[in-house]
Amino acid sequence: MDNVFVEKEIYCHWIGVFSGRELDMNRLSTEEGYSDLDEKCSRIFVKDIMRTRPVTIKGDDSVERVLEVFNENQFHTYPVVEKNGSFLGIIDQNIILQLLLTHRVSRLDHTHLMAVKSLSESARGIMIPHPVTIPPEMDLCEVAEIMLKHKVDRFCVVDNDKLVGIICKPDVIKAIYSIRG
Amino acid sequence: MEFLFQILIILLSARVLSEVSERAGMPGILGEILAGIFLGMTVLENTDTISSVAELGVIFLLFIAGYKEVHIEDLKASSKKAIVATVFQILIAFISGFGLGYLFGLGNLESLVLAVAFSPTSIGVTVKTLLDMNYLSSKAGSMMLSSAIFDDIISIFLVSIVSTMAQHNAIPSSMQFLTMIGKLVVFIGVMFLLSHYVFSRLFGYVRKMHSRESIFATVILIALFAAYFAEAMGLHAVIGAFVGGVLLSNISVAKIEDVQSKVSGLAYGMLTPVFFVDIGMSVDPTSLGAAGIFTVLIVVFGLLGKLVGGFVGAKTVGFNFYESLIFGAGVMPRAEVTLVTISIGREMGIIGEEIFSAVVLLAAVSIFVAPILLKFAIQKDKENKNSASG
Repeated sequence: MDNVFVEKEIYCHWIGVFSGRELDMNRLSTEEGYSDLDEKCSRIFVKDIMRTRPVTIKGDDSVERVLEVFNENQFHTYPVVEKNGSFLGIIDQNIILQLLLTHRVSRLDHTHLMAVKSLSESARGIMIPHPVTIPPEMDLCEVAEIMLKHKVDRFCVVDNDKLVGIICKPDVIKAIYSIRG
Repeated sequence: MEFLFQILIILLSARVLSEVSERAGMPGILGEILAGIFLGMTVLENTDTISSVAELGVIFLLFIAGYKEVHIEDLKASSKKAIVATVFQILIAFISGFGLGYLFGLGNLESLVLAVAFSPTSIGVTVKTLLDMNYLSSKAGSMMLSSAIFDDIISIFLVSIVSTMAQHNAIPSSMQFLTMIGKLVVFIGVMFLLSHYVFSRLFGYVRKMHSRESIFATVILIALFAAYFAEAMGLHAVIGAFVGGVLLSNISVAKIEDVQSKVSGLAYGMLTPVFFVDIGMSVDPTSLGAAGIFTVLIVVFGLLGKLVGGFVGAKTVGFNFYESLIFGAGVMPRAEVTLVTISIGREMGIIGEEIFSAVVLLAAVSIFVAPILLKFAIQKDKENKNSASG
């Protein structure tokens, strides 16, 4: 957990407030001449609007530590990474709720996999391995389309197997709203 | 019109009785089988259309087992002790099934189907009891979970062997056996290469398609392709579906939550209930009575084979009496794979009504008896440990 960066209020929000991104926002504001939203949208990339230092969980963190992270923060999903930053998977609120209330989940979910997860001692054991990720170069139109079409609320942004950020639906909505003028 | 009525009545009664079964603390499939027995005795007759939907049901039952439940990484983490105990419990259950068939003068192939039907375990029933008794993390509970992975794979391997033998309608020669193993290896190899080089790229394109539900449709298409390809290779469709599911489970786009939920909905909401109702409709209650002692012995041998096998296996790896009893009772329940085996056996004309109905009864009794015995063994183990420590 040494790389953890906690910012409850602004996490998964439009993050133009960070100095590293003000440049991008300025670029956007100078591009008012674009008449077509699609075209504007295709010129903005995930790396421009993603959150770069998300709260992360280490693969070897104990389940107790993971529960603490969920208790201390209010986010839906946390990326799980190796010590060197390599992306491993995600842990979301559904997994935590299932772990905390194993007795109450549907009998259909009393599977071998669920049982193994409930006995796991580390984050690696309970995470969802290899979820869908997106590259930082993906444009805003495409990520919005995937979110809409496949009902995905957030993506981890991965470059060369390393986690470089996270992007959520509100980030995308605010970005589109902003360029819409 | 008739088909609509049949499906309507099947799905309605399956849902109602499944709910009743769940509320009574039993797995939903017990209710679905009972719905089938009731419908078979009253308003419905088994038709080709129902059988075809049931066949899709069994394909998706095994596909979803691979797609959602199997985690190959767990195999690496499993202990050698679990392998030893699993081999014992499967071997003794297998021998008790084959021996019973032999005693009653059944043919080799018929006895083999009975033996393979005796071999699988349905871990879901056990997990519920272990959770209720707070024993999932116990030594026996942990080993049961490791054992369940091997159990699934060995059982499905056995099913693939028996279904292939059924096509020859005889116990194969050593050459035929080797050919069969070769086909299985080639099938898994080709599927692995397809999954690695074709399916993973395919989903990259599918994700961008404009047509609706493109990813879901592709997952379904691959499930059907894997089942068909297995059949074309001379294996059974269910093996193909299982392997296809395991391989797809490693492709992230194919496992988007929304897609998983739709595949689950199609399988558990529509297709698999028809399979279990079809199993129930095929049960002939009069043949159970007619077979008399044979039916009773199938149930008794079926239960004891697993109990004794599990007990001996756990004892061999150093468990005490009650821990071994817990392990033995925990591996007793039979459900999905056992029912798949006998439905293949019946479909291929190897087993008759008596054996089919008796094994369905065995599955129902095991689902009912195993949790009771497991609770008793856990209680005794707790008392034993308390008296030893106090």
